[in-house]
Amino acid sequence: MIVRLLREPLLQFLALGAMLFALYGLAGKRSVEAPEKIVVSASRIANLSDGFARTWRRLPSDQELRGLIEDYIRDEVFYREGRAAGLDRDDVIIRRRVRQKMEFLADDMSVPEPADEQLAGYLASNPERFRAEDRFTFRQVFLSTTRRANTIDSDSKQMASILAQADGAADATVLGDPFLLGEEFRDVSPSKLTSIFGESFAKQISVMEEGRWQGPISSGFGQHFVFISERVLGNLPPLEAVRPLVHREWANARRLEAEQKLYASLRSRYEIVVEAPRANAAEAASR
Amino acid sequence: MVTDHSDGMGFFPQLLGGDPGLLATPQGRKWYDEINSGKGADAAIDIVTSFGKGQMPKGFPTPGTPAYRGAWRETIKAAEEANEPGRFTAFIGYEWTSNAGGNNLHRNIIWRDGGAKASLVEPFTTLPPLGSPNPRDLWNWMAMVEEKTGAEILALAHNGNLSNGRMFPIIESFNGKRIDREYAENRTRWEPLYEATQIKGDGETHPFLSPNDEFANFERWDKGNLDLTEVKKPEMLEFEYVRSAFKNGLKMEAELGVNPYKFGLVGSTDAHTGLAAVEEDNFFGKTSSAEPSPDRAMHPFVKTDKAVIMGWETTAAGYAAVWATENTREAIFDAMKRRETYATTGPRMVVRFFGGWDFEAADANNRMPARVGYTKGVPMGGDLNNAPNGKSPSFLVAALKDPIGANLDRIQVIKGWLGKDGLTQERVYDVAVSGARTIGADGRSRTSVGSTVDVANATWTNTIGAGEMITVWKDPDFDPALRAFYYVRVIEIPTPRWTAYDAKYFGVKMPAEVTMTTTERAYTSPIWYTP
Repeated sequence: MIVRLLREPLLQFLALGAMLFALYGLAGKRSVEAPEKIVVSASRIANLSDGFARTWRRLPSDQELRGLIEDYIRDEVFYREGRAAGLDRDDVIIRRRVRQKMEFLADDMSVPEPADEQLAGYLASNPERFRAEDRFTFRQVFLSTTRRANTIDSDSKQMASILAQADGAADATVLGDPFLLGEEFRDVSPSKLTSIFGESFAKQISVMEEGRWQGPISSGFGQHFVFISERVLGNLPPLEAVRPLVHREWANARRLEAEQKLYASLRSRYEIVVEAPRANAAEAASR
Repeated sequence: MVTDHSDGMGFFPQLLGGDPGLLATPQGRKWYDEINSGKGADAAIDIVTSFGKGQMPKGFPTPGTPAYRGAWRETIKAAEEANEPGRFTAFIGYEWTSNAGGNNLHRNIIWRDGGAKASLVEPFTTLPPLGSPNPRDLWNWMAMVEEKTGAEILALAHNGNLSNGRMFPIIESFNGKRIDREYAENRTRWEPLYEATQIKGDGETHPFLSPNDEFANFERWDKGNLDLTEVKKPEMLEFEYVRSAFKNGLKMEAELGVNPYKFGLVGSTDAHTGLAAVEEDNFFGKTSSAEPSPDRAMHPFVKTDKAVIMGWETTAAGYAAVWATENTREAIFDAMKRRETYATTGPRMVVRFFGGWDFEAADANNRMPARVGYTKGVPMGGDLNNAPNGKSPSFLVAALKDPIGANLDRIQVIKGWLGKDGLTQERVYDVAVSGARTIGADGRSRTSVGSTVDVANATWTNTIGAGEMITVWKDPDFDPALRAFYYVRVIEIPTPRWTAYDAKYFGVKMPAEVTMTTTERAYTSPIWYTP
């Protein structure tokens, strides 16, 4: 993933931009002393020419190069004047862009190839990311919205109280409506359940207990009471089975860590004051 | 399935990489410059057109060259890496992009087997002398592959609507002769499936062919062939659409003893983005140049001096549904071979269809409809023969809506048959409708389900329609002496079309001619009755 990301022209551009930005920060100090002077250096001209060649696959003509330089100067004049007038402040796009550049600065462009022990350690300490999905075996009592358009709410309440008394071993599924895909589901994963019943069903069943009737769970089809007879916890695969995935996650974790470290050190330089929000703002936020 | 076009596999990496040989040709140079100056879409159309005319530059990769072999190996490798039996199946395959004269005869070739067998050959192309645009030559090549490598492969075609009368011929376009038994045998052997719906329009039927079918006018692409170099004539339509092909298949079977057009149905995206995003609210377009943007609807998809197809005419469709015993290459391939499949235009509906002689009304209340279906009958794609004396075929039909999608309006059975007079006929029966509506003695429910679509806000509600439907239907007009087929069409309630989502999301106004609502649907493979 990271490798592919690094090959992205946009990212390369942004990373390059971030470095230039850092350099510019140093150069900027000088320009404060002489704001009226704009120097288009030979290396800047080479940059403009390279940029043109990347797009058009040839070098610019003299006339085109003069145009590029003029455009650069125009950019620079507006940029300096705009900044001096404070136009960059409170601009969401500029803030987002600058923040993004800062975050890219933190990315270590040359993450060394990790040793197997590092990856194994990462796998062991983050098992939830790599564990196979849990699998459920359950029966359902289904109440169909289509069949019970007006009575589904009262039927559902009634069914809840019937099932509360039901012996789990008894076949209660006949109390409900037929369901095209049946009433017994064996060894199904949450992702499979998502495709059958929708995401909310899969989430709700994942936190339910085994061995008694529970629910109802709502779906696009109606109400489902479920009796989970078995839940098999997904096991943690060995490193060799998931190496590319672990490598990707590990590299991403390194990146986030570096970013967080940079942020923490920069933030520590500031004294941060957050005022209490105004009453109506707090109210709006809580809505 | 991961696929690439058969001809010029590896061409684009070569072109984009600035291969000197390719750039030395005027066309290569032109396309290279266009792509690098942001005119990739123009270059793409020109490449497709040049290819259709057989005018590709020197250096265009052909089987046997390193660029070609490398690209085929990459394709195989991608499928092998993604394939995870039981969890995610990725087939090895490619598209045989026969496009003679701009007329679409594309077929996807799919392997049941893994890379060990697939890498023993390189794809069959369409440009002579190595390849051929004639499907007969493709079938010969397929036979050779099975014999030489021990692999099992199948082909499935798409976009007959852009073939200008050549997809399901009675007169072969390549030799001008009436199709013979050899053609029929090969076609039915190698092509068990057809892609009935996709981004480049729907292929079930056409209002010209089915004037009494009010759902026939759906996502029509009938202006011309694939590159719009030849306009459509009404007499071409009969040889382009699924329903008329099924009908002509019965006629050819009576004549030749073999039905060339005995195929099952699937849908697919044909997306060139790698994304399965063809629902109305997530439509990501056919190609990277048609990804979501405020003006994509009004950007021409194909434009020539003869006609134009606008971006808004692309269809957010479809998916292939397969009733397989497990999620593996082998099980899914085998189910495709027996045509136990259906197409949807985007929703993930569940559709069941069984035919037999003994289904009765009570079977629709059975708690295990599939079990009774397989016990008493044959599933979609199957055959019925030898009608018991005095009996008519009966069908167990059921549909469940997409769990997060719209409700269902109705289920229909489409019947086609070959009359005593040798003429083919078709008829649409409503077999289940939502709500309190009724089905008349003519087998139709003329009351519309209505619409809850709010186009401006791109929303709808499931306050009309049904979440599920199941019924047993018996053919009221059965004649045991006549060949017939039956397939199911499930119609959803109206929903906002992707163009309505685009208008809302981007805050743009669509011109009056843009279709803003849709009725999504599913089509099953037929069950055939043969006396």
